[in-house]
Parts: sequence; C-alpha cells; structure tokens
Amino acid sequence: MNTHQPTVYVVDDDDAVRKSLRFLFKSLALTADCYATAQDFLAHYRPEQPGCLVLDVRMPGMSGLELQQELNLRGAMLPVIFITGHGDIPMAVEAMQHGAFDFLQKPFRDQDLLDRVQRALAKDEENRKAHRDVEQMRRHFAELTPREREVLQLLMAGKSNKVMAADLGLSQRTVEIHRARVMEKTGAHSIAQLVRMALDAHDDGATPPA
Amino acid sequence: MTNQSSIPVLEAWRALLAATIDAVMVIDHAGRIELFNGAAETLFGYRADELLGKNVSVLMPDPDRSSHDRYMQSYMTTGEKHIIGIGREVLARRKDGTIFPVHLAIGEIAGDGPRRFVGQLHDITSRRRALDELQRERDMARRYLEIAQVALMVLDAENRIVMMNRKGCEILRRNESDVIGANWLALAVPPAEQAAVAAVFDTLRHQGGKNADEQYHEYQIVDSDGTLRLVAWRGVSMQAGITSNGTLLLSGDDITDKRLAEDSARRTTDRMNEVSRLASLGEMAGGIAHEINQPLTAITNYAQASYRMLSATSPDLVDIRDALQEISSQALRAGEIIRRLRNLIRKQETQQEYAAISSVIADVIGFISNDAKLNEVTLKLNCHTDLPLLLIDKVQIQQVLFNLLRNAVEAVMVNPPKERLVEIRCELDAEWVLVRVLDNGPGVAPEFMPRMFTPLQTTKSNGTGLGLATSHSIAEAHQGSLRYVPGVGSGACFELRLPIPDGLAE
Repeated sequence: MNTHQPTVYVVDDDDAVRKSLRFLFKSLALTADCYATAQDFLAHYRPEQPGCLVLDVRMPGMSGLELQQELNLRGAMLPVIFITGHGDIPMAVEAMQHGAFDFLQKPFRDQDLLDRVQRALAKDEENRKAHRDVEQMRRHFAELTPREREVLQLLMAGKSNKVMAADLGLSQRTVEIHRARVMEKTGAHSIAQLVRMALDAHDDGATPPA
Repeated sequence: MTNQSSIPVLEAWRALLAATIDAVMVIDHAGRIELFNGAAETLFGYRADELLGKNVSVLMPDPDRSSHDRYMQSYMTTGEKHIIGIGREVLARRKDGTIFPVHLAIGEIAGDGPRRFVGQLHDITSRRRALDELQRERDMARRYLEIAQVALMVLDAENRIVMMNRKGCEILRRNESDVIGANWLALAVPPAEQAAVAAVFDTLRHQGGKNADEQYHEYQIVDSDGTLRLVAWRGVSMQAGITSNGTLLLSGDDITDKRLAEDSARRTTDRMNEVSRLASLGEMAGGIAHEINQPLTAITNYAQASYRMLSATSPDLVDIRDALQEISSQALRAGEIIRRLRNLIRKQETQQEYAAISSVIADVIGFISNDAKLNEVTLKLNCHTDLPLLLIDKVQIQQVLFNLLRNAVEAVMVNPPKERLVEIRCELDAEWVLVRVLDNGPGVAPEFMPRMFTPLQTTKSNGTGLGLATSHSIAEAHQGSLRYVPGVGSGACFELRLPIPDGLAE
C-alpha cells in the first residue's frame, strides 16, 4: 500500500453496510480498507499509514468505543468518525469526550460523509506534520552538547549573558558562542521561538530527550 | 233389657275402665271424686282410695284449681257449656306436684239424682313435645331465612311470590307485605328481560333444574327506587306433591358490588399488562429501529454512489448494476423488519389465531438476536418439527418469549463471553406444546422464587417487575401455564405450556 495515499478504514459488523461503504468510497475515488470486527482492524492497522477511521458504535465483541480507547492507549493519531444506527446521545458524548473527530447517524448523505472524511484526512495530515516537526525538533535538541544544554536551561529561565557567565564560571564571550550554537542547531530565530520549540519538544534542557 | 243382662254389661264397663290407657274419673255435682280408674292412678300417682270423696281440683294447678268450683257453679246455673262435649287441652297436676298437659273430655251422666260428670284425660305430653319441637324448627327455619345473606323466594306456578325472606326484601327495597302475592316478573324484572327470565323459569319447571347450568342464571332486577341490581340466581323446582307443582324455590345473590370490584380489578390488571406490553414493545421496537437503519444505510450508500458514478464521463455500468441489485435486496430486508414491527403493534386487543409456535419463536429471535450478538450470547434453538398449530395471540406469546429471552440474555452476562448460552427448546408433551427457555446464568435465588410472578417484584435495578407477572397472566389466559423449573440445566429454566386445540392433538 502506498504510504503517501491516505486510507479510509471502515469497521462495521453489518456486511451490507460495510460493502456499501466500500462502494461509496470507490465512487469517491478513495481507497477503503474494510473490517467486520475491531480485532480484525487492529491486526491489520499500521500506525504509519495516514488515513481516518469510519467506525460503527455497536458491534459484538469489542465495540466502537472500546476500539477508540484502545487506539488512544496505543497513541494512534487516527481521526475517528463514528457512525451509529440510533441517535444515542450519551454514547455520542462519550465518544466525543474521548477525542472522536465526528459523529454521523445512519443513514447519512454521502456528501456529509465525504466532507467529514476529507476534513478528517486533512486533520490527520496536519497531525502527522505536527508530529514530524516535533520529532525533528527533538532530534535537533538532542544534538546539543552538555554545556549548550546548560546554557539553554538558563536561557529559558530568562538569565542574561552576564549572569549565565557568572553561574557557569565562564567568560561572557564563551557564553555568547554557546548561545549562538544553540540557536543555530535548533534553527530558532529568537529566544521566544526557542522557548516555544523547547516546550513543544518537551525539552526544558534539564534532561536529555530519550 | 233385663236385670240379669244388665249385670254383665256393668262388668264389661268395669273391665273397659280398667283396661283403657286414658285416665277416667267420675265426680259428683260438688266436684267430689267418685271413681278413679287404674290409668288415672298411674297418670297422677295417687291411689284411688286417697282421692275418693276429695275435690277434683286437687288434680289441677292454679288458676284452674281455685276456680274449678266456680266453673261448675256457673255451668249448673246458666247451662252454658264451655268444656262439656267439646274437650280442650288443659294442664294437670300429679301427686308429686309436676304439671303436664292433657286433653280433657267431659260428659254429663244422665239420671234423676244429683248431677254427675265423667271425665276422660289423655296425656298429651309427648304430642305437645313434638309440636313444640316442630314449632322450634319452624322458628329456626324462619330465622335461617331471615339471617340468610342471599334472597330466598318461592314462586307459585303463575310466578306469584309466595315467600320472600328479609334479604330479598332488602335487595328489592320493599316490605314483605308488598311483595307477597305480587307477580315477580312484573314487580322486579326489567321489561327487556322478562321474556328471557320467564323462559328460564319454564325450563326449571319442566326440567326440574337437575343440572347446575339450568339452576344458575344471572339477571338484573329493579328495586323500588328503579335502581338496577345484578343478581345471581339459583333455582330448583319443587316437585313433591300436587299442590307444589310448578312452585319454584329461588335463591339470589346480589353480585352488583362484587362484579364492580371484579371489573375494577380486571381493569387494573389490564392496565398493568398494557404498561408492561408497552414497555416490552418499546424495547422490541427499539431493537427493530436500530436494525432497520442498517439496510437503509446500505441502500442510501449504494444509491448515492451510483448517482455519482453515473454523473462521471464513463460510468462503470457493471458496478452500478451490482449496486442496484444490492439496493433491492436491502430494501427487501428492510421490508421484512417492518413486517415484524407491524405485527408487533397491529393488535391492541387479544386476537387468537392458528399459528405455528416455530414462526412465533423465529420472530422473537429476530427481536433479540441483535442484542444477543452484541452481548456475545449464543442463542441455541432446539425445536421439534411437526408441532401442531396453536390457537394463540401471537403478539402476546411473542411478548412472553421475549421477556423470557431478554431475562436469560441479561442473566448470562455475569459469565465471561463465549460462555453465555441461552437455549430455546420446543417440544410436544401429550396435549401440550412446551417451550422452555434455559440459560447458564446464576438461576433464580430460592428466596425470590415465591415472588417471581408477583407484579412489581424484581431483582433488577432497572426492572419494572412486570415482565414475568404479565407473562404468567398471558399464559393463563391461553389456558396454559408459565412456571420456573429449578434444576434443569445449570441456570434458570422457564417453561411455557400451551394447550393444543381440540382436534389437533395426535
């Protein structure tokens, strides 16, 4: 499967509904990967594959809500569009609280589903890009030397070059050089951006990233 | 007649006097006893020689004792006979002072000398006792009639009231004197019912009311205020004797209030059943509503996709043909679900028809299978083929089986998935069809068993306590039964028994 082409996953225990969804997505020039059970889906799901999940709420075995929670536990970013046979408000609320992307009641207009699927795919792409950015930042932060990490930590604490030089027992000139290296390695253009990047990368400079 | 022949005659009289069982005595004009026969001696406890020459009043208690001389004086001056030749019952007194009733007959002895009288006394103690007894029985009977809480009435051959007890008068709100002799039909039976009641009476007179059906009849009567009372009557014809020919004895129980109470109780039960029916109907309909969305979703998807494809420059007609085929088969699936829903809500009133239990069970499995599947409960059906048709209200029996199955599905939820088993067994047992619903759940706690069919009793946090109670009354309304059978299988076992209609049993 092409990793760059997003996949619409469909999990619904009703054969007719599942087959009709596959047909509908085909007419929309979208690739649909259909599964009758949550377990079957989990066995085939690859986290690196971009896409979204169209998920039936009520299913025997693992229900749609349980599958959503399992995906959350695994840290999967896949946006989930729930479809349900009856307007079960408490169920919808629970699904949304657990981060469902959207909720559709059966039967639905194809355009409604298409809109949601496209927005879900865009969201997935966005998520993946953000994830990639964070990963890149982490890699950059990981390249800092121990001395540079000390400078980063003091920079985030708002210390001036002079104070840092005193704290670290270095000359101001040396501090300035370390500081320029930190900015260069992380690609930050200002102290404010550096701080934000450090927060995004969950790196306060105190401990090296895992 | 000669002297010679008169002596034997006298002898004969003496012998007669000695032999008679009645007391005989002769007194003179002053009341003095001249003759006192053996029977008199036995009766009074005196020897004759003790009494001869004594005033006869010694044999009487007061007030006759002190007045007797005056009675005699009065007769002898006026000649008015109060007792002579007439006889009457009087009280007599024995030597020991005891008093007893006698019938006294007195005659005057003809002759020239001073007047003399002969008296004959017949002890009527036992007769009097019998009469008293009879009177007591009559009084008792009258009192029975009076305290009876049913109306008791005797009608003659022309339906005139001969007797009516107090309760009867109370129901009619009339005095006894106003009803005796009145025509019962005209007095108390509404015009519209008179012919029918007259026909009942005729049947009773001719058939004698030998069986209970003839004896029992219910009709309304009108009291003096014009109020209608419903009375249950039981009648018999009095066949003994020419005079009572055509006489009817009737007892009537005023069942107006009782019937009102019964109606009210029935209405309550009906209402309860309705609530329960609606509750299970709601659940069943909810399951169906969910189910029907599946084919509708598929149809919508296929139709929209086909439309989209047809709008393209070179549509794939094979795909679209397949989609159309799917659409029609999914529409049929939806139609089947709707048929079940319609069957469920169509009948408001009890309507019995011939139906195969297997199709009823299949419908109920349709209602419950989605739930069972979602909860990973395995449903097993074990149904004998060739079961006779039953005369049942299909919706009601569906309701019973649905209740049993839903309870079973809920009961097995304590087991881990894959070990949740509910089984329906259906078999023939003589003139019955048995449907058993078994599960491998925890069963019914012994302390709940006595109350399990009682309305509003439930062990479930969200139960109404109506399911089993209603199911039980539905089974009974079908002349069948619903019971819990402990010890069959590992969990609960409920057994619904339905009778095979006459003529259909093997």
